[in-house]
Amino acid sequence: MALAAFGQLNADDIPSWGSRSVDCFEKLEQIGEGTYGQVYMAREIKTGEIVALKKIRMDNEKEGFPITAIREIKILKKLDHENIIKLKEIVTSQGPEVDEQGKPDSKYNGNIYMVFEYMDHDLTGLADRPGLRFTIPQIKCYMKQLLTGLHYCHVNQVLHRDIKGSNLLIDNEGTLKLADFGLARSFSGDHNANLTNRVITLWYRPPELLLGATKYGPAVDMWSVGCIFAELLHGKPILPGKNEPEQLNKIFELCGSPNEINWPGVSKIPWYNKFKPARQMNKHLREVFRNFDRHALDLLEKMLILDPSQRISAKDALDAEYFWTDPLPCDPKSLPKYESSHEFQTKKKRQQQRQNEEIAKRQKLQHPQQHARLPPIQQTGQAHPQHWTGLNHPVSNYQPPASAGPSHHHYGKPRGPPGGPNRYPPSGNPSGGYYPDRGGQGGGYTSGSYPPQGRAPPYSGSSVPASGPRGAVSGYGVAPANYSQGGQYAGSGAGRGPNPMGGNRSQQYGWQQ
Amino acid sequence: MSRPSFLNNMADFLTSTHRAKWIFSPQDLKEKYKAANQRARQTLEKYGATRMEVDVDGSLSYPEPQTDAKDNVEKHSRPKPLKTEEEQLLRAFYEFKIQDVCDAFKFPRKIQATALIYFKRFYLQWSVMEHHPKHIMLTCIYAACKAEENHVSAEELGKGIEQDHQMILNNEIIVFQSLGFDLIVYAPYRTLDGLVNDLEDSLQAKDEQLQMLRDMNETAKIEADKIMLTDAPLLFPPGQLALAALRKSNEVHGVLDLERYLESLLSRQHSTHTISELTVSLNAIDSLVSKHETPTATDMKHIDRKLKSCRDPSSHEKSKKRKHRSKETSNPLQA
Repeated sequence: MALAAFGQLNADDIPSWGSRSVDCFEKLEQIGEGTYGQVYMAREIKTGEIVALKKIRMDNEKEGFPITAIREIKILKKLDHENIIKLKEIVTSQGPEVDEQGKPDSKYNGNIYMVFEYMDHDLTGLADRPGLRFTIPQIKCYMKQLLTGLHYCHVNQVLHRDIKGSNLLIDNEGTLKLADFGLARSFSGDHNANLTNRVITLWYRPPELLLGATKYGPAVDMWSVGCIFAELLHGKPILPGKNEPEQLNKIFELCGSPNEINWPGVSKIPWYNKFKPARQMNKHLREVFRNFDRHALDLLEKMLILDPSQRISAKDALDAEYFWTDPLPCDPKSLPKYESSHEFQTKKKRQQQRQNEEIAKRQKLQHPQQHARLPPIQQTGQAHPQHWTGLNHPVSNYQPPASAGPSHHHYGKPRGPPGGPNRYPPSGNPSGGYYPDRGGQGGGYTSGSYPPQGRAPPYSGSSVPASGPRGAVSGYGVAPANYSQGGQYAGSGAGRGPNPMGGNRSQQYGWQQ
Repeated sequence: MSRPSFLNNMADFLTSTHRAKWIFSPQDLKEKYKAANQRARQTLEKYGATRMEVDVDGSLSYPEPQTDAKDNVEKHSRPKPLKTEEEQLLRAFYEFKIQDVCDAFKFPRKIQATALIYFKRFYLQWSVMEHHPKHIMLTCIYAACKAEENHVSAEELGKGIEQDHQMILNNEIIVFQSLGFDLIVYAPYRTLDGLVNDLEDSLQAKDEQLQMLRDMNETAKIEADKIMLTDAPLLFPPGQLALAALRKSNEVHGVLDLERYLESLLSRQHSTHTISELTVSLNAIDSLVSKHETPTATDMKHIDRKLKSCRDPSSHEKSKKRKHRSKETSNPLQA
């Protein structure tokens, strides 16, 4: 037989060139699912090392290998940092299955997989765990790592463009890593290139993108960081809009509406006039989050500034008082170890079971809790989440648009609606979670898995970000040109959840690419 | 800025896969070319042909052994494999074509350079007898456009040069695999711009001098184009390629005391290299350029015939018969 499948050409496990076969890994279970492809937990046969395999689907691509995968590979190969997910290698499946005649039975049997280091959790998954409340030192620790990783990206002229909880992976050493660079892009320092504004999951999307800006920079990621920061402290997403106009409105209600005074140049942004509220709205951030400590509020306010040019940078955020006042961020290694959150399949089954129980329970209780998540343990006594006074937040707002199905993970692009999976069911009842141990109603929060409270060991000095990862200020070879994502490759972008309205959004609102 | 931007480019290069994996010694290159040639020869012996089928997912297969291969061998003389020198000429021919095609599409130099580097790297693992350089050339251009965010659809590219675009897509994965998915490559052009900017600053150039520097930059880019056609990009880092181009250009324009400039450059970079080491490299690059020849059409005719016969002897026979009717050269992989 003259047919030699690709892998067979490399007798050695590690070829001198090219890529290894996926057969070097034993797939253990599926841990994620998205339009991008499935994500598997797998074991490298030779070493026993556990990894995550993210499949790159090829079969729907008119233009061959997806541009998003190319970007992700390019960027991940360039980035090397403790707080960035590590792309270990790229492997290929054995090639087409061969039928009796020795002919390949399909054109697309082979697949490409990205091999990542395995991470136990993602931030959203952890935060949604019943009975789990983050401590303030823990939140500071995660935030510090998030900002450190993001600062590294920005110094290397990479915009992440999809910062959200489910893309922040956490291992059992307490290390947080930025993942899913499928929407990331290199940018040149001068912000001259036109970029698509159809990025970042709606709830975490900054006002400039919602207003149609196509020239933007690292500040877009910082807005998302602000949303996550507030979410960690508040116990639930702070800006859960259902669509772009509502998202903008929620932002204006919280941060005030933009004008030429608080945001010089805003009137020149494409859709400013279209979305400008009838009358000026005032900022309510400090009232809404008045239960936050002073330094947290100071920092948050700098992150959620409407004008991107005034928004705090990752570097400056790391210098904020918040991280240098008691309680200090804890050492990641001191954080509790949680049971892995990847039982994708068993979870689905148990989830079904749980839902049935919930329905039964709900019928009995009749007063579902409003929040799926508790705010962090406060240092001073206990604080219940302050409800947003003065703002109209019907409970139903927390229902995300129809979910594209379970996909809580993170290596892949579980391209669902904003927020991904059903984190916030209509009732606020945590019945839709993915964690089999989720304890039904909010009552079960005392189940003892609280992280250690109180003064954690001060953050070791060595983790303080040195300001300059390998500088690359002028962006060698990353000139983004005037590439617009909506062009020829839109096929690969369409339906990718970060644009939560899917493909029809641009029609609906007349938004351009 | 206290630190010229191209030095940061260099810093970026220092941590790159380009530097770690894709800069070789002349001996390395020789061995790689020989090994690829050797393997294709063996294939020819075993299967009577060298052409590899490539599937869209990157899987490969050798041609079905010719049932009459043995008979063929007896009836006709077995097709002769290409020598490494002939393979080299063939590659040189198609590398020249890459610049041609990119010019025709008005792609920026960066795309051209990326495509060339992809092409060169690909043929460190493969013989032209296994994968036809025409197909790999187009696929490399397509891949370079994607990687450099300068999108052209496969169809558009195929149309522009009257080639089947499916062939481009079929070869895409094998190209990416052969590159080890190391898609970020460094060409000398950006560094060249950086060097000239730095010169403008340090000379505080004005008007006439500024114009001279810009002319020098243009000439240097043309020199860099020539360098890109040699093995130099596989042997030297992009910064040295840029300096070699600049030095050549300065020989024409005579704008500056290059030696002194290099000294200041090295000291600013805290380089461990000495001027004399650098000069050795630059001389070596010069000599690669002066020795490089792009094959003529006559050279190509002979090699191309040989290539066809060893890739696919049967189609060669057929095309021989067809030759009376059509002048068109057959393309066995086009189907």
